[in-house]
Amino acid sequence: MRSIEEQEHDNEVMESYLSFKLDDEFFAVDVKKVIEILEVPGITSIPLSPDYMAGVINLRGKVLPLIDTKVKFGLESIEFTVDTCIVVIEIEVEGEVLQIGTLVDAVLEVLEVPQSAIQPSPSIEAKYRLDFIRGMIRREDEFIMLLNLDQVFSIQDVMYMQEANETMSSEELTEK
Amino acid sequence: MENLHSVYLEEAEDLFSKIEESLLLLEKSPDDSSLIAEVFRSMHTLKGSSSMYGSSKVADFVHNLETIYDQVRGHEIELSQPIIEATFKSLDHLKKIVQAPDIPDPIDAKYHEKLTAEILGLLEDYSGEIAPAKKEVNHSKCTYFISFTPDKAIFSDGTNPLLLIDELKDLGPSRVYTSIDKRLKSKSYDPKKCYTSWNVILATEDDVNPIKDVFIFVEETSKIVIEKISDVDLLGLSEFTSQLPPNDLNAKLPALKDFKKLVKAVPAEALTRSAEDSLHEDEVDGQEEEKLQKSHGKEEAITSIRVSADKLDELMNQVSELVTTQAGLSLYAENNFDPTLNAIADNVEKLSRQLRDIAFEMTLIQISNLFRRFNRVTRDISTQLGKSVKFITEGGETELDKKIIDSLADPLMHLIRNSLDHGIESREERVKMGKPEKGTIKLSSYYSGAKVYIQIEDDGRGIDAQKIREKAIANRLISKDDQLSEREIYDLIFVPGFSMAKSVTDISGRGVGMDVVKKNILDIRGDITVESKIGQGTKIVLGLPLTLSVIDGLLVKVEATSFVVPLGDIKKCYEIKRDELSNDFNELITLEEDKIPYLDLRKEFLIKDENPPEKASIILLENEDNKIAVCVDSIVGEYQAVLKPVGKYYRNQEFVSGATILGDGSIALVLDAYKIIARKIVKQKKSA
Repeated sequence: MRSIEEQEHDNEVMESYLSFKLDDEFFAVDVKKVIEILEVPGITSIPLSPDYMAGVINLRGKVLPLIDTKVKFGLESIEFTVDTCIVVIEIEVEGEVLQIGTLVDAVLEVLEVPQSAIQPSPSIEAKYRLDFIRGMIRREDEFIMLLNLDQVFSIQDVMYMQEANETMSSEELTEK
Repeated sequence: MENLHSVYLEEAEDLFSKIEESLLLLEKSPDDSSLIAEVFRSMHTLKGSSSMYGSSKVADFVHNLETIYDQVRGHEIELSQPIIEATFKSLDHLKKIVQAPDIPDPIDAKYHEKLTAEILGLLEDYSGEIAPAKKEVNHSKCTYFISFTPDKAIFSDGTNPLLLIDELKDLGPSRVYTSIDKRLKSKSYDPKKCYTSWNVILATEDDVNPIKDVFIFVEETSKIVIEKISDVDLLGLSEFTSQLPPNDLNAKLPALKDFKKLVKAVPAEALTRSAEDSLHEDEVDGQEEEKLQKSHGKEEAITSIRVSADKLDELMNQVSELVTTQAGLSLYAENNFDPTLNAIADNVEKLSRQLRDIAFEMTLIQISNLFRRFNRVTRDISTQLGKSVKFITEGGETELDKKIIDSLADPLMHLIRNSLDHGIESREERVKMGKPEKGTIKLSSYYSGAKVYIQIEDDGRGIDAQKIREKAIANRLISKDDQLSEREIYDLIFVPGFSMAKSVTDISGRGVGMDVVKKNILDIRGDITVESKIGQGTKIVLGLPLTLSVIDGLLVKVEATSFVVPLGDIKKCYEIKRDELSNDFNELITLEEDKIPYLDLRKEFLIKDENPPEKASIILLENEDNKIAVCVDSIVGEYQAVLKPVGKYYRNQEFVSGATILGDGSIALVLDAYKIIARKIVKQKKSA
């Protein structure tokens, strides 16, 4: 960490971001929102919940809901390896601050990036929902997508997807 | 300061509800002297703490009210309906202004003035009605003359001389003469100094010591004269009181010798008569004295302390953690065959259980706290609607978890309002139907098994089940051929958007928000049922868990996942072979020659495993109407589950009411038996 004086010398405000990997793509979240990073413990899945809700874990006596970030982003559901981590983040949901765990393939590093280096996300290649992405950070040859956490994990969105899922599963049932 | 303020507000809140409660009782029996004393005492305390906290506007306001009740207490005026009415209004106003004692809102300020004027008006109205016939005379009472000239700098050490005079007045009937030093009007006037002096005539049963005690903190600096002027209660004698000079601020204070002259003027015959009178009153006085002593005793011995709710919550959290940790220790001890460790683990288990019970008990509060609020509301609403309603509460001593009581306030309020508005008929209608003119609403509460029940019963017009049915058919909630039990029909009023307004009473409102009521009750793991007879009344029963934090459950397994089923909902357990289930198309299982619908949790939770274990266990769940068998892989045993929320993300998985952490640190899901039964019923109906 650099001292406050040093930071004040810079004309530019440096922001810290934690970067992680989903498949081969890079993402980053504001470090201020990250509470801690955990190894994957025993997960209790909750029956009949949507695929991206990965279950709950015991975080020192608290029940922490887990989200499979990959499913949420339309990728294949996560496979557990030695690198798999849970990033515990704090988000604001319906005016309440909640902690949730997000499953990622690997946690990379903490980046110090001046605000000016954050570019608006290109709308041409809209692979992900635009409101999920706050901007892009260019790092050598890679682009790192900066996530808008409150939006990605908002409950309305979760509920919406959940309803879609449920109608699907009930349709499946009737087919059977 | 912030802390002091919250303590003050809390105390004020308590006092308000105390006063309200006493007032409501006083309405019924306005002569109950212990109640009047209670009101007076509460007001006095309120005034004291208000002036201590520095909200002089509040203190002054309460002071006027207090004066009224002081006079009522002294039988100088009678407790009339206007007084009670004004007191209620004042209380409402006070509740508002204690929050912001400077009364920033001009509307409030105006109202404040209006009310103050009204109260003063009441005081003046009645001051002329001093009943000379009513004498509070006691042969043991003596009359004292007290002169109190405070040191000019008395304010500088924070003493309020008025409080001292009030304390004097508490000792017995009194006459207070006040005089203000002429210098008050001169240029040398210093607002930080006290220019007032008092002469008091006091009739008290006590000796001179309590009077001296009043001035104990100022006796060194102030001029105090205390002298007994008679062995009888002179203030009870009209011969004496009629001769007393009027209280004039600007006049010279009547001095001791003036009073002595007056005493001599009282005929001896009157003095002896007063002594005789008091003999007859001895018995009554004795009783009153006892009451007073009792209440004093209550104040003196500290039997309870005030703890902030946050601290209790924190305690409960920590204890829950301890219980969880202890489960881990017990599990570890069991697996490591070390007798010493086992003994320690056993002891820790015992201790943590005791600690849990104690902590749990602390979070329970009597439901009367909540009931009291409705007393007032019922009174107000019924007056507003022009209906006369008797509101009865029963079982207020029933204790419930604080959190449950908090979340009950709104639903109960809604239900009571409904009863008042739509249940109870107008006076004329009731007379026509041959019912007593006064409607009755009964709010009661009782324990039964592991649950607490709260009942709201009215003797109003009831709900017409047939009309609900018709309305539900019109709304396509049910079809014409559906056979519904009466209970199922009444359950329809809890369906969102199902308003019975037009169909039942033609008064809008009923039914609106009943779905919210139900939701609130379900949120605290309760249930709600309606019974009604047309023309005779409606009864709504809420069944609530004792606590939200710990439940007794049965730990079961389905595949690798552990579940906890609340023990209270389980009727019986059976062990079966899995093939017994698979041949059945109707999903019915025969248990003790009873055919019971069953739910296989493996299938239900879409667990994909082709090799289920050969043996399975059946848990028979039961509520009032239905029996459902639930099939699980195995039963592990009883488990004390500390309930934790699974969070908002899982609120659509409503059959999971929470999660609990097991001894090995893994998580078990707590199932809601009612939701599971409901799930099965819905499925049955769909397939049928």
